Amino acid sequence: MSYCVNCGVELEASLQECPLCHTPVINLKEIGKEFPPSPYPENKGQVEEVKRKDLGILLTVVLTATGGTCLLLNLLVFNRFLWSLLVIGICICLFVFTFPLVYYRKMPPALSLLADGAAVAVYLYMIAYLTPSTAWFWQLGLPIVALVFLCVEIFTFLLHKIPLTMLSGALCLFVEIPLFCVSLELLIRHMLADHMMRLTWSAVVLTVCVIIDVALITILVKKRLRNEVRRRLHF
Amino acid sequence: MPRKPSNRQVNLPAGRNKKDIWYKLDLSATVYPTLQRRDFSSVYRLSVTLKEEIDPALLQQALDRTLPRFPTYKVAIRKGLFWRYLEPNNRPGPFVQKDIKNPCMPMRFKANNRYLIRIYYYGRRISLEAHHCLGDGTGGMSLLQTLTAAYLGLLGHKIIPSGFVLPLDETPDPEELEDAYMRYATAKVKPPRPAGKTYRIRGTKEPFYTLNIVDGVLSVKEVMAVAKRYGATITEYLNAVLLYALLQKQSTEFHLKYKPVRIAMPVNLRRFFPSKTLRNFITMVYPSIDPRLGDYSFEEIVAEVHNYMRYYISKKFLCGDITTNAATKHNFLIRIVPLFLKDLVVRTFYTRVQDKNSSAGLTNMGALQVPQDMKPFIDRFDIYMGQPFSSRTNCAIISFEDILTVNFASSIVEADVERYFFRKLVRDGIHVMIESNREGTSHTTVL
Repeated sequence: MSYCVNCGVELEASLQECPLCHTPVINLKEIGKEFPPSPYPENKGQVEEVKRKDLGILLTVVLTATGGTCLLLNLLVFNRFLWSLLVIGICICLFVFTFPLVYYRKMPPALSLLADGAAVAVYLYMIAYLTPSTAWFWQLGLPIVALVFLCVEIFTFLLHKIPLTMLSGALCLFVEIPLFCVSLELLIRHMLADHMMRLTWSAVVLTVCVIIDVALITILVKKRLRNEVRRRLHF
Repeated sequence: MPRKPSNRQVNLPAGRNKKDIWYKLDLSATVYPTLQRRDFSSVYRLSVTLKEEIDPALLQQALDRTLPRFPTYKVAIRKGLFWRYLEPNNRPGPFVQKDIKNPCMPMRFKANNRYLIRIYYYGRRISLEAHHCLGDGTGGMSLLQTLTAAYLGLLGHKIIPSGFVLPLDETPDPEELEDAYMRYATAKVKPPRPAGKTYRIRGTKEPFYTLNIVDGVLSVKEVMAVAKRYGATITEYLNAVLLYALLQKQSTEFHLKYKPVRIAMPVNLRRFFPSKTLRNFITMVYPSIDPRLGDYSFEEIVAEVHNYMRYYISKKFLCGDITTNAATKHNFLIRIVPLFLKDLVVRTFYTRVQDKNSSAGLTNMGALQVPQDMKPFIDRFDIYMGQPFSSRTNCAIISFEDILTVNFASSIVEADVERYFFRKLVRDGIHVMIESNREGTSHTTVL
């Protein structure tokens, strides 16, 4: 029977140090004595992982079959134009979107978003391939996809790295929205070869968002206001 | 007036096609699956230590005989469009398994043949781990004691069912399967829930698959004598000691300003509202101390806890509390919201408000009663509240005969709260015997 000299508690016979203060147990009377087994087992348990293999196989088979049969149908029966590209593109997008959920759950969110963006861009290119000109894809489609996914990437990054509150999250959102709208309008004007590069509708969005941003910053800075908002908006 | 449990609520098994049977989650149980994470499940553990080594083959036999008597524990959880529900699980299992060092591991809903309970054995100990969505400690204790009685029966001992031990040849009483909250949510007002940020224990998070346990074994008589000296009950006294330990911990850390220290304590509602339910029927009370009001002596903390308990743990207040909680399930607009949206809102609310509402958890199952014939075979009981949702310490207390066990479970490296807690007991003249599964503390881990 040993006691911790610091805590004054009796220590169960198998303990070699006090679990409360880590003071080693030195009992001269018990040197050379065999210690009884611990009341706790030595083996650590592992959580049984749920197999998503079946779902993965099912999804892959369904998507591949859909794409493949549509391609065959397109080549052999309804072969006026390559409409099967639209279906194959959707299948590729669905596969890429579900990849981190079904196949590889440890995929970093930034990488999975990048892959999603690339899949959407490829799909848009497939549509562009079927149209007489691909100019809209290079001048508008691709930059918009890049812009949307850049905004989402930034927001996801902030969400993971900084402990965002509801207010600071809203601030990020209302900073990103006008930036996106302004960039979108400039891209449209660039495509339409409007050299004035004026802002019209996006200026309205920009103004509204700036007002909201200023209000949010004031609320965030003023503790009293912040508490008031939290109190009134709590759920 | 409390309503009678209706067939619709309970989905009675009697006289119905087995395929038709399913159970709605009770009011508390709707929250627990929502909080499920890769590294967290609301799992609690109850253990009974017998006087002789456990025979796993007999234990498996006893389990196979016992589980059909507890239909709400032989289930799998499924997702509906608006709510989750439980459906009978006829897959093979659950199977008894050798105990592990890290109890209350996360419980995946689709793993373990979809069973939401685990049965372990180690030496003389039988342990039951159950997901909280099936029931609370009282329901779990009934299953564990009935299993133990069945096991002892297979060893040739005659145990007459009473108290927690249910007769295996009887069909389950509909009241055992009911959601008792809905029967007693009858208050005319919905008192607001206590809210506010409290002190959060700072500590180094342990890696996944680690649950640090420190058990204190005490004498009921000694604790009762000391509690009496302070003019409190055992629960009030131990609550006060935990608050004192948390205050000590906060005072040793650097804080620009102190925060209130609050304990989340489940109250067994069966004490106030008669029900035989084996599912969840608990509500939370929050005894607290605000160090910003000044320094509290231990006697003052005991007095605060004593007065709080006397005031709030009353039938009327608890009824109001149940009504507030039940209001969400009664609200038509909430009911028609799809499950994934409900999950999102509940998880956000729990993480941002409910989890920050308390500094630690403490539950006291009180003095356990077992059938007279079972007493000679039982050494002691243990209870673990399981993995805390955030980095903190949970404390659970249970007593049997003269042995009172205080079981701390935490997922942080530091054992400061446990140290302050047990040192205070020692200073009050209580003999404490400590056991632990902490890494490196045991001789067997070195050899």
